[in-house]
Amino acid sequence: MKNRLKVQRAIHDLTQADLAEKIGVTRQSINAIEKGKYVPSTVLALKIARLFNESVENVFTLEDND
Amino acid sequence: MKTNYLLPNKFKKLGWVLFIIGILGGIFMYVTDFEPTEVLKMKVLSIYDDQIFGKPTFFKIIENEIFDELVSVFIIVGGFLVGFTKEKIEDEFIYKLRKDSLVWALIVNYSILLVAILFVYDMVFLNILFFNMFTPLLFFVIRFSVLKSKYLRDEE
Repeated sequence: MKNRLKVQRAIHDLTQADLAEKIGVTRQSINAIEKGKYVPSTVLALKIARLFNESVENVFTLEDND
Repeated sequence: MKTNYLLPNKFKKLGWVLFIIGILGGIFMYVTDFEPTEVLKMKVLSIYDDQIFGKPTFFKIIENEIFDELVSVFIIVGGFLVGFTKEKIEDEFIYKLRKDSLVWALIVNYSILLVAILFVYDMVFLNILFFNMFTPLLFFVIRFSVLKSKYLRDEE
């Protein structure tokens, strides 16, 4: 799964730590998601998308091998 | 993240203390070929006792040296507290690391045991069985700590 988390963070001028705090997770989680090492749960993905005022598909997208 | 089996974070420190004391006690017992002393000898309840040349008894008070019991209890309770208390910030990613560590520990532990069953015999095998009472917890705690510190160091 691809994600545009880093881009969205840049648009909203948030550091990983800022985003983590707003969502209520650790910075490590955000980092792992951005690096594609961790696929967040649906709930977490929805929370992140809501914070950015985007639909989930604009933040997370399937790849061919998913 | 709601979990129903994790204890509050404040128990983690206590867990580490018990766990480390227990492991040091265990190592001490192993390297000194620990013989029971009179110091910690006390009356204990034995649910089932099968003495050599004696009749088996149920629910009997017997005399026993409790150092080995203390060491085991410390390692098990300590290990559980370390592995199954919440992190300062508990989220689904930490939860996944914990679960992955558990699976990893179980696979590694039983792989080693399998090799030992096939290729190790007599007293050495008994020693491995003895360690095997604690290695699943030990491997789990080590793996979980390693994964946590790995991701903690992972910078942006």
